[in-house]
Amino acid sequence: MAEELQKKLQQEVENFQALQKQYQKTLSVRQQLGGQLFETETVKSELDLVKKDQEVYKLIGPVLIKQDLEEALQNVNKRMDYIKGELKRIDDTITDMEKKQDTQRDLLNKLQQQYQKAQLSAGGKN
Amino acid sequence: MMSTKPPAGGENMMEIDITKLNLQQLSQLKQRLEQELQMYQNSLQSLKVAQTRYQNSKESIEKITPDCNGKDILVPLTGSVSFIYLFACIYVPGKIADANSVVIDIGTGYYVQKDLESAKDYMKRRVGFVTEQMEKIQAMGQEKSMIKDAVMEVMERKIQQEIALQKAALARATGSGKT
Repeated sequence: MAEELQKKLQQEVENFQALQKQYQKTLSVRQQLGGQLFETETVKSELDLVKKDQEVYKLIGPVLIKQDLEEALQNVNKRMDYIKGELKRIDDTITDMEKKQDTQRDLLNKLQQQYQKAQLSAGGKN
Repeated sequence: MMSTKPPAGGENMMEIDITKLNLQQLSQLKQRLEQELQMYQNSLQSLKVAQTRYQNSKESIEKITPDCNGKDILVPLTGSVSFIYLFACIYVPGKIADANSVVIDIGTGYYVQKDLESAKDYMKRRVGFVTEQMEKIQAMGQEKSMIKDAVMEVMERKIQQEIALQKAALARATGSGKT
């Protein structure tokens, strides 16, 4: 009985660790996206300050291509919307993962208690 | 006659009385705070690098004057644009065509051609922004390290208490053994 419980406990601990690892990965992706959003926002605010007589270029491969200011602003806005969408999606995943971790933690606690009880009763018999 | 009840939790739900945590929780808290402090240190360092870079760019711009027009220069063909130090750089001779305008990388692959004045303004803005962020992080770090100190103090006290309790128990055990 106790052995079986121990095996199960180990299995669940491993599951929990896997969950945590995944969670960390998702968090770092989120951080990256946050950074990208921030960079794009700075670019937008900078493009907003560009005067008509100043040229805007976009780096494509090794060359700078002259861009229309309007077009550049549109592209930046599009990119910002895309990143915001991605952020929302990943935030949902994060809350979902947090919930999963909580239930797994509860399960672990329960199993641990069961295991301790089983050990105690086994010790009592001896 | 009546045992005085400990005061009910603070007015703020988020507030945690660190004196009520046990040693394990305290050391976890301490670890987390240390991690956060480390993160702040790293951010500060990167910001410092960014600050220096903008500052350098600003100084470079300030060296360009209208009478630079048509002057001979050596244009680096490899490396130096991206701040990567290479063993050897290839330079080709060139002439400054227009000393009154520079092209600035504003991020995500966009570049803007600006005249010297607005380029200097841009660098000034960036330096100001980065400095502001650094100040914010410094303030946050100070707050965290204060919390960390408090946690460590409570931990120290708890450990002392534990030791005293153990000593008393030991004394009692040996004392009762003798009689």
